[in-house]
Amino acid sequence: MNLKKIIIIYKKEMLDLVRDRRTIITSFILPIILYPLLMIGFSSMMSRQEMKLEQQGIVIYLNDMVHDESSNELKESLSQIENIQIIDEAIVYNESTYLKLLQDKSIQALINIEDSLSSSGYRIFNITCFYDETSEKSSMAYNKVRDNFQEIEEVLISKRLEKIKINTEILNAVEIKKENIAPPEQMVGFIVGKFLPYLLIILTISGASVIASDLIAGEKERRTLETILVSAARRDELVIGKYLTIITISIITVLLNLLSMYLSFRHIFMQLGTSMGEFQLPLGNFALILLLMLPLITLFSAILLSISTYSRNIKEAQSYQMPLLFGAIMLSMVSFLPGFELNLGFSLIPIVNFSLMMRDIMLNNYQLNYLIIIIGSTLVLDVITVYISIRLFHSEKVLFRTVEEKSLKFWGKNKRDVLNLQFVMLYFVLMIIALYYIGGSWQLKNMMSGLIKTQLVLILLPVLLIMRISKTDIKSTFRLNYTNPLNFLLVLFAALPLLLLSGILGQLINFIFPVSEAYLEALQNLVTVKENGLWFTIFVVGILPGICEEVMFRGFILNALRKKGLWYGIILTAVLFGAFHLDPFRFLPVTLLGIWLGYLAVKTNSLYVPILAHFAQNSLAILITNYAEKVSFIKLIIREDEIAYWVIIPAIIILYLVIKGLTILNPLAINNNE
Amino acid sequence: MITVNNLTKVFQQQNGEDLYAVNDLTFTAGKGEIVVLLGVNGAGKTTAMRMLSTVLQPTSGNATLEGYSLKSDPQNVRANLGFLSGDTGLYARLTARETITYFARLYDVPENKINTRINEMADLLDMHEFLDKKIDFLSTGMKQKVSIARSIIHDPPIMIFDEPTAGLDILTAKNIISFIHKCKEDGKCVLFSTHIMREAERIADKIIMIHQGKVLTQGSWEDFKTDTGLHDLDDIFIHYVNSITEEDV
Repeated sequence: MNLKKIIIIYKKEMLDLVRDRRTIITSFILPIILYPLLMIGFSSMMSRQEMKLEQQGIVIYLNDMVHDESSNELKESLSQIENIQIIDEAIVYNESTYLKLLQDKSIQALINIEDSLSSSGYRIFNITCFYDETSEKSSMAYNKVRDNFQEIEEVLISKRLEKIKINTEILNAVEIKKENIAPPEQMVGFIVGKFLPYLLIILTISGASVIASDLIAGEKERRTLETILVSAARRDELVIGKYLTIITISIITVLLNLLSMYLSFRHIFMQLGTSMGEFQLPLGNFALILLLMLPLITLFSAILLSISTYSRNIKEAQSYQMPLLFGAIMLSMVSFLPGFELNLGFSLIPIVNFSLMMRDIMLNNYQLNYLIIIIGSTLVLDVITVYISIRLFHSEKVLFRTVEEKSLKFWGKNKRDVLNLQFVMLYFVLMIIALYYIGGSWQLKNMMSGLIKTQLVLILLPVLLIMRISKTDIKSTFRLNYTNPLNFLLVLFAALPLLLLSGILGQLINFIFPVSEAYLEALQNLVTVKENGLWFTIFVVGILPGICEEVMFRGFILNALRKKGLWYGIILTAVLFGAFHLDPFRFLPVTLLGIWLGYLAVKTNSLYVPILAHFAQNSLAILITNYAEKVSFIKLIIREDEIAYWVIIPAIIILYLVIKGLTILNPLAINNNE
Repeated sequence: MITVNNLTKVFQQQNGEDLYAVNDLTFTAGKGEIVVLLGVNGAGKTTAMRMLSTVLQPTSGNATLEGYSLKSDPQNVRANLGFLSGDTGLYARLTARETITYFARLYDVPENKINTRINEMADLLDMHEFLDKKIDFLSTGMKQKVSIARSIIHDPPIMIFDEPTAGLDILTAKNIISFIHKCKEDGKCVLFSTHIMREAERIADKIIMIHQGKVLTQGSWEDFKTDTGLHDLDDIFIHYVNSITEEDV
């Protein structure tokens, strides 16, 4: 790579962009005017609204059922309230009429005064105040009336006390004084930290996405890409030059955002005036946020650049950017949620880590080690995405992606076309939706029968129907072939090591992303034999999934996906298998298990082997959960629900021997095994 | 000097079958020679030219341009090459001068020579009056001149024109044709693709007819005429196309 060329490209792109009205508006002008408009507009609107409400005055109906001297006193006191109009000419009390008036907002409150006697003979005024909580004016009326009556109550009580000659000071037993110890910076941090990450992320990505889509997809659209491809610049120089352009503009955008935000806040707090007299905004924290934004900007720029490279035109690039934008917004919203504190697990999830860290910085209680982890992990992702961008830019299939992907051909002319990749993927998505809504509600009603119905009706039956309708040969598609019985034996040997390994992997994941106890318990319950009995549980959790899920994944889906290469098919099928379990915490172990099952299916060329392996795996989990205490060997391995880490070594050795055995029994290599 | 040996490009189609966009293309083009790739739309002309300009990688076979191999030295191939096609775009927000300067720098033209080169180009193509206007405000003919200047700013020994006149009006097209003649006079090696028979006849020293990725024949019009005994250009082309389809049958 030649730095000089990169600079040439970078300079030209910057010149080009600075002349683009869209860039100027979204990246420069919008942040500058947004915050002042947002804050100043908002605050003046608030105060004006309040003033308007004050001036407008409130109308209340008063229904005095008591009508004596002291109730008149109550009435009198109400008229002290500013801008109040009291209507008390009601002669007949009719609640529904007043409620209707309240609902159509011609009055703001209805006050009903009754009285009663307490058990010790004192008189109590029972005041009911009808008001509309959804109406600001009505709520305000209620507050004023309530404050007023509370004052009156004090007066009445002190009168009574005087009568029986008791000092009114007796009422002051507890005095509460409000003293907010949070320093003003922290208060601001608390408020700002909540929505700052969210706002910054949206503005940064939306600014960068406009530029990124223009830089490569835009060049494709305007047919200038070819001219630079044939120029003496190398492709990686082009990518880096463009990459730097996005980063620069994004940094400028963020800087402008922060500056404008800072000034607007200062303005607002100065307006708020006296109570925050000594107030100072934490300027250093804004600088730290800027530092934190840098790796995030570079990451987003790289992702957006990859999207732009892949897209054929700006419109397509923008539609691919949408999910990214939505995902980022969703993740950045964690700073709104209570109870989310930064920990090791969260500090590894992009955006979430950033959002939580930024909140902590604004609160002035961030931890340096997390800051380093966040910046470090983001930089690693950065390097990966930039590499992907460059690879994409080298791939002619991507760069000259002209052929429109064909729409789904459901029942093509050619029988083999029926079970193509797109169809199977679409089917998988529909199945997951059905599983979630239909299967979920079945299982909610009754766990065991729900599981049986899910396996048979949602997983097995549709696949068999599709095979039937498309007249595809089940035996060859699903690999229902005879195989050496020794394969079954070998697979059984692998069951325990695999279970332990995936258990350990689960433990590690649990270490990084702690899972709630309740969740683990629910999982445990699934494989616990209770009233159902051992054999029934094994049937529902072991045998049925063994058959139905294997037919679906290693039969139906693997068959469609293997056309792009067997390992590709095995791995993608396993990923779908992992996703199918609808559980992010088990995704990785289940996917790895899926790879093993796919490997078995292809290696032995028989679906019966993965069926047995799947069955053995699930059944073994049931047995260990229920009978672990009775077997001394297991007690050696699992202590207090933790699997000992030393088992990794023997487990891997056994697994290796099993694979070796399988290779001897089935000598054909995976890729030739067709 | 271009030497092409068994150049082949295979695309994978949606149905999984291979499409031979260019199949076993072999030819040479020397200094001061205009070689025309002649074929109908979809014959594989653009793919061949994209391979020669290193935008696409050949599936098999190779070519050398000025002695530099496509496969092992694409960087130097591009440095010795000017590429112009009829539908390439320009950066609308840059001026003509900025555009040409940008490409000059990418092609490593020394900074102190860039302005002289631009002035030479402006003389040659009569573009002084709009040099500092933004491309957005230029007419099609002016834009095409900027494109020409952009492609030749580094004075490359080889020029590749991919249907450069497609979609242009007669006057603009004429500019390009005369420019191609100028290239030939300057001793450049010119490769030109078109689907218009007359255009090929007017400028070609050598014609390579391709159809469905395969070379039908190569030589001059005179060769073809004596070979087929026909006089009409279209008839000659159809004759050669039929000859291979008959073979297939």
